[in-house]
Amino acid sequence: MTDQTISQDHQRGRRLDVLLGLTLLGLLLVMWLALSIETTTFWTANNMANLLRQGAMIAILAIGETFAIITGGIDLSVGAVAGFTSMTVAWLLVHDLGFASTIAGAVAISLAVGIFIGLFHAFGVVQMGLPPFIMTLATMYALRGIGLLITNGSTISITNDAFTGFSRSSFLGFPWTDGTWFQIPMLFWMVIVVAIPAYILLEQSRWGRYLFAIGSNKEAARLSGVNVAAITYLAYVVSSFCAAFCGVLLAMRIGIGNPTQAEGWELQAIASSVIGGTSLFGAVGSVHGPLIGSFILTTINNGANLLNLNPFWQRIITGFLIIIVVYFDTLRTRKR
Amino acid sequence: MASVESAVPNAGAPILALEKLDKRFGATHALRTVDLTFDEGEIHAIVGENGAGKSTLIKLLTGVYPRSSGDVFWHGAPVALATPHEAINLGINAVHQEVVLCPHLTVAANIFLGDEEMRGGLLNKKRMVRDAQALLDDLGFSLPAGALLSSLTIGQQQLVATARAERRGAKFLIFDEPTAYLTRQEAAALFKLIRRLKASGVTIVYISHRLEEVFELCDRVSVLRDGALVGTRKVSETNEADLIALMIARKIEQIYHKDAVPIGETIMETHALTGPGFQDVSIRVREGEVVGLYGLIGAGRSEFVQSVFGRRPATSGRIVWRGKDVSIRNERQAMNLGIALSPESRRDQGLCLSLGVGLNINLPIFKLLSIGPLINLTREAECADKQIRDVQIKTSSRMAPVTSLSGGNQQKVVIGKWLNHGAKLFIFDEPTVGVDVGTKAEIYRLLGSLLKQGAGIIMISSYLPEVYELADTLHVFRAGRLVATHGHKDASHEAILTEAIGV
Repeated sequence: MTDQTISQDHQRGRRLDVLLGLTLLGLLLVMWLALSIETTTFWTANNMANLLRQGAMIAILAIGETFAIITGGIDLSVGAVAGFTSMTVAWLLVHDLGFASTIAGAVAISLAVGIFIGLFHAFGVVQMGLPPFIMTLATMYALRGIGLLITNGSTISITNDAFTGFSRSSFLGFPWTDGTWFQIPMLFWMVIVVAIPAYILLEQSRWGRYLFAIGSNKEAARLSGVNVAAITYLAYVVSSFCAAFCGVLLAMRIGIGNPTQAEGWELQAIASSVIGGTSLFGAVGSVHGPLIGSFILTTINNGANLLNLNPFWQRIITGFLIIIVVYFDTLRTRKR
Repeated sequence: MASVESAVPNAGAPILALEKLDKRFGATHALRTVDLTFDEGEIHAIVGENGAGKSTLIKLLTGVYPRSSGDVFWHGAPVALATPHEAINLGINAVHQEVVLCPHLTVAANIFLGDEEMRGGLLNKKRMVRDAQALLDDLGFSLPAGALLSSLTIGQQQLVATARAERRGAKFLIFDEPTAYLTRQEAAALFKLIRRLKASGVTIVYISHRLEEVFELCDRVSVLRDGALVGTRKVSETNEADLIALMIARKIEQIYHKDAVPIGETIMETHALTGPGFQDVSIRVREGEVVGLYGLIGAGRSEFVQSVFGRRPATSGRIVWRGKDVSIRNERQAMNLGIALSPESRRDQGLCLSLGVGLNINLPIFKLLSIGPLINLTREAECADKQIRDVQIKTSSRMAPVTSLSGGNQQKVVIGKWLNHGAKLFIFDEPTVGVDVGTKAEIYRLLGSLLKQGAGIIMISSYLPEVYELADTLHVFRAGRLVATHGHKDASHEAILTEAIGV
């Protein structure tokens, strides 16, 4: 094989790469356009704000999940972590523990719990040598159990209005096409708050480069002086931290804490990430990918409701979408 | 050999003839009107630099790619060779450099893969193991047919791949760099097998970078350059210099050219260093010095340098760096002292294959390119581009994945990534494996420029002429121990080889 043919192949690969990115965004916009034509209720300031609100939490989970997947791992526990921290923050708020029961204290402690869970995952993967799939599958089960044990199976209702009000509030806005005012939901701002540092970490910091290097070839990374253990810790801490953040937002949005919440969200997060171009073999992924991926899933969800489709169709559509998108991805990476 | 040839009925008649064989990939002309005949029962070497078209030729012959134009004749009859299946049915098989078998299956299962023996709709495992064992014994390999393939060395796996081709009734067998990862004994076993196959009338195409193997084994040799056939010679009527001149079109007077560099102060010493896979090794590396480590594969050389680099820390003994005792417990400590290691296997240890050339080159030095955790993206790009230029890596851009590069260019990435790090001691473990002559010369030049900057080099090689010519001090390893030390060319090849084998 000569170098020229290779570089041509490569250029073709890059064009497909860009194409895939545009296709995803295009797919999202086409879905929006179709739903705007088909229904009168979709393209309204109210519904679109609602869509952003609905998509926000999976988006945050998916961004975190992507960090674990890029290293060649996986985090199956993100749904359980979100449920567990929704319970944690609620439990702290309804008790009277001084600072820990203020909003700031409860949120900070819940996020710290997320970090701790991430450290534990990385400990299992790095120090105990467990496969990430097994380690996070185990905590997925265990965390739900611990949460149920603490709450004794009951739901904690949050009475703190300042806390729950945050999820309904919005910040800034602009005039919508129909003359009404579009208010950007606070929950969506939270996605931005997560995505920007995540982007900087992944794309502009050396730790981001190391994450990709580990996902591509752990031994080569190690022999190039990469602290493989530390970077693996980073990946799982980011994943669990995002999940904990999602759990706090979840508690705000539904006003309760319950460790069984967010059931199955880990699979939605993985699906969003994969639709967004992340490779489950590692070393391929971005921040914008899972972001778009999660809003594609949310749009399917939202649109199906508005179209009065049988909700079971949402799952079927999602399934086929994953096949199609990943098929395009294999086309992109397949050698001649 | 004459008696062997007369034993073959059609010896000498062309088994496969290529006429004006041409292959284009888009705008690239990978093979240019190649006319070539292979005689039945001969061992025909094909040599050429990386990118000369050897791989393309193999892929056309094995039906992996269709040709763009030209004709192929098998025993004088035109054939399409459009699919791998057709090639196999004709009796054309290839044994690849990197074994493409299933590591988790047994030797027997691999030999019978795709053509299993059945009984009543179920696999007849017992019979396959028995038949495979009979085949292996018949070929003269002492390999257990029931063992898992992954429990064998790469060399043994290569023998299994050959046995598999043999069983499929190969009449025309292509070996693509078969000895790249083999020990000397394994290579000897393979050569014996190839000669047996030849004696039984199989035509062999032998592709290798190691010219000495061509002279040892082959009857004729064809040289490819830039996709064109530049000559076919009888091996008995040519020599190494001739072939090299044909291959690279420019005369390399002395591949192993090395400027005299004054030897300076001691950079590093080891005293009775012992670790996993080696014992009691004491060496010294000085500024401007090449310390060669020669031995058979598995003699403990790689293990020793990996300990020096902190990958598998030493268990006892001392490492002295610039006169001070140091403890090297991980790779980062070694790098901070000023040690660089370019590992043996570029695929497994050297490169993040799926990632860009630039990222691979910068991987050891991201700390230097960053302010805090944040990378200075301009400097990152400049640094990668500079290194691609300096080391002359042929790539479309720094973003191109390393997989898109040829082997020689990949090796330049493995070596090039350490040149910006400011190391004082460079360890090169088999720096020229699977690399063509032109690239080899470039790599040696690179080594020379490091020496001039006052660096010291430890160089491991299983190719004796290389370390023999380049090393100022040559240590011979055997079974995990340092068994002999020589100055520059102060012993014969035979003497050094004898020490390495330990007969």
